[in-house]
Amino acid sequence: MGSTIMPALNTLYFYLTEGCNLACRHCWIVPHFDATGQHSPSLPVELFETAIREAKPLGLSSVKLTGGEPLIHPHFRRLLEIVRREGLRLIIETNGLLVTPEIAVEIAESPNRFVSVSIDGSDAATHEWVRGIPGAFEAARHAVINLVDSGTRPQVIFTVMRRNAGQVDAMVQMVEELGANSLKFNVVQPTARGENLQKDQETLDIADLIALGRHVEQDLAPKTKLKLFIHYPLAFRALHRIANENGGGTCGISGILGVIASGHYALCGIGEQVADLTFGEVGKDPLAEVWQENAILKALREGMPERLEGICSRCLMKEPCMGSCIAQNYYRKGSLWAPNWFCEQAEKAGLFPASRQGTTSSQDSFTTNGNAN
Amino acid sequence: MNQTDRPIPNPIVMLREEFDDWAVLYNPDTADAVGINPVGVAVWKMMNGKRSLEQIVAEIGKSFVEVPDAARDEIVIFVSTLAENGFVGLELERKA
Repeated sequence: MGSTIMPALNTLYFYLTEGCNLACRHCWIVPHFDATGQHSPSLPVELFETAIREAKPLGLSSVKLTGGEPLIHPHFRRLLEIVRREGLRLIIETNGLLVTPEIAVEIAESPNRFVSVSIDGSDAATHEWVRGIPGAFEAARHAVINLVDSGTRPQVIFTVMRRNAGQVDAMVQMVEELGANSLKFNVVQPTARGENLQKDQETLDIADLIALGRHVEQDLAPKTKLKLFIHYPLAFRALHRIANENGGGTCGISGILGVIASGHYALCGIGEQVADLTFGEVGKDPLAEVWQENAILKALREGMPERLEGICSRCLMKEPCMGSCIAQNYYRKGSLWAPNWFCEQAEKAGLFPASRQGTTSSQDSFTTNGNAN
Repeated sequence: MNQTDRPIPNPIVMLREEFDDWAVLYNPDTADAVGINPVGVAVWKMMNGKRSLEQIVAEIGKSFVEVPDAARDEIVIFVSTLAENGFVGLELERKA
């Protein structure tokens, strides 16, 4: 069985509003369309403060503001003030539509910050096919420019699908020219609208995704000043990338907790979709009790990674990877221990890397040694 | 018998080379695995119980360009770490 030492609650993910000013085809949260943020429930400021106050003794060092679109929260600037006042690292995931020069300057007042802006095409037609709203492309580009001009070099997130896969190289060039710091390629997760996109065969098949990852890591990354990441499970990432960079592809659930717009704690944003994965109410249920005693969180601490099933049980990377995305695995199979869909499909297609598979199913452990050079 | 300074791989450990010239060493007995870089792969392939560690270091120096001064120490640490984790042993002295 795994360690039962209580981990620190490093980061709260705030899903600030149930609304969004875009209507993206692949969204896994499925917010209501709401151009102004006036028509959707949003997390009250006092609950935002309460969650932070109760999380700090548990080890809180950063908050992520996401959504829906976090910037349509009616008191977004007040939230930025609170994050600054509490000395927390600020992480924002935005579609960029409301990142004016003034907001960008205010974001830059947080000394420790990370901002990502989603752009899903190198031209307006492609991005807006994905995002659903005319004008979204130029707004997102200007968001990056406003952030860079005010001293924040953001990450651009590009979610790869059949419609935009041919623009990967062009995206690298465009994002570099915009002055961003990094570009992350996300894979569409088959959750909510992403599930429909997959059923409609608008997503790439597993062989194409693996080939894309190789192209990004082997061909594109060495040629650009941008940091490039592809967000797929660790078993597919090149060892030199794992050893030298922090590129994601793992489930961070051991140190994070979600707070959704309804005021509930949740595993992460999946709580918007799956009621089983909400854990109590901010302000009513003490956070220390939720973090330490919730049955699902306890089960995960005790059972990960040993109880993972299927291909994940045989994977040498299972300890750092933890099934890549527990929320997605639960959404798909109703089990915390279900294997990741990407790895399962790859195994079925004979494309799971043989070098990353153990011959036993319970105790494999993996380290990297990049120093012998 | 005394140990020599000639490292030799644990015969059960599998070297699994990957597309980027890095590799995974996997011990199916213990289920331990470690990722190693291309120099580590070369060192692994040179360990045959006949070459001393110093000979391996010297051969690495000839096989790679721009080998840094710290290479010797890093190779020694690399082999020691593998030995501590049961991936490598040291050849025993044989009676003449």
